[in-house]
Amino acid sequence: MTKLLQWLLGVGLLLGMWACLVWDLVPTQLTPQWKEVVWVAPMYLLMSFACYSLATIGYRVATFNDCEDAAKELQQEIEEARRDLAKKGLKFS
Amino acid sequence: MATGSDQAVGMGMVALSALIFAYYTIWTVVLPFVDDDHIVHQYFLPRPYAVITPTVAGVVALSAIGSFFGYVMLQDKMKKKAK
Repeated sequence: MTKLLQWLLGVGLLLGMWACLVWDLVPTQLTPQWKEVVWVAPMYLLMSFACYSLATIGYRVATFNDCEDAAKELQQEIEEARRDLAKKGLKFS
Repeated sequence: MATGSDQAVGMGMVALSALIFAYYTIWTVVLPFVDDDHIVHQYFLPRPYAVITPTVAGVVALSAIGSFFGYVMLQDKMKKKAK
């Protein structure tokens, strides 16, 4: 079974359970306050995932291992190689 | 080490996501259990907005991404025609 199918099955199962609880297809003893929470649950999970994604991206941007010296050195080496090869007759676009 | 401005932007995004998560959690999960005459309720919009607002924001975000994508594709086509 492909990953996509697994995910769709999982999501379908969760949505099915949610629908049963929200539309009273199954007898439950939930208080009206808990019913309110259940009703908003899918949107809450979506929002949590969005916040988690934003936080992860932001954190990775903030802790990126940027070595400016190595970058400059690399640029110089590239220039050197270009000049060397151009001398030997290689054409650059 | 990421450059200073990168660090600021990154940590800003982390802080923003924490704020949004906390506000939304209180709005959807905590408020139903709080008495209707508690002053906390005045800091939050009526409950249906907890579903409407993210949906509208999502639609706007997807449209923005879609238009940007379409714009870039059009630019590419125009360039190819000019050649």
